Amino acid sequence: MRAGWLAALSVLVSVTAIGVYSRFLRVAAVRNNPEGYVAAFAIAAVIAGLAVALRRRWYTWAVLVLSIVLVLGGAAFNFVLARIPAVQTTLRVGERAPEFTLPDATGRPVALADYRGKKPVVIVFYRGYW
Amino acid sequence: MSPDPNVRSQELAQGLHLDYRFVADSDLAVTRRYGLVHERGGPHRADVPVPTTIVLDRDGVVRWLAISDNFQVRPDAQQVLAALRAL
Repeated sequence: MRAGWLAALSVLVSVTAIGVYSRFLRVAAVRNNPEGYVAAFAIAAVIAGLAVALRRRWYTWAVLVLSIVLVLGGAAFNFVLARIPAVQTTLRVGERAPEFTLPDATGRPVALADYRGKKPVVIVFYRGYW
Repeated sequence: MSPDPNVRSQELAQGLHLDYRFVADSDLAVTRRYGLVHERGGPHRADVPVPTTIVLDRDGVVRWLAISDNFQVRPDAQQVLAALRAL
């Protein structure tokens, strides 16, 4: 009986981790700590391991396999696939950013120099392909 | 700033009711000048910008810089605002 509860708890932990991360992506504390879901999957795998240790049934093995797949997949994604290699940026805090002129969404040119002496500027580079 | 073409960026801006400006760096020339290219990091192994947020003061000097090492992670708006208030 206890093994069944542990197996269910393991699934609950995994599903909750996926749900919280997906639902609360807008919350910076969640979004910026993706290693949290990997840790939750690892906890779920340990609980599933305990369930198998208590009672070797198809459902305890199934939950253990599922949680191992999730922790390995989550770790592979977070620590390998999502990684961006360090780049040799020309930017330095305390130095002027390189000038540029690029078209905006209506085709009008936007020059960084237009803001000099007037306003601070926030530049956000994003990957695109949205 | 991204390699996305103007039409896509304009639709995105209108759809999200945004009043800041999207600029298209379609050949990544500016991204390269800034040294922020992630080689073959995008769909179909395309070169893409590294997600980066830069705060410049009124003289165009870099005062705050956040370069991502994980594309799931972005600086919080509050961090950017704090950097602006510190100018």
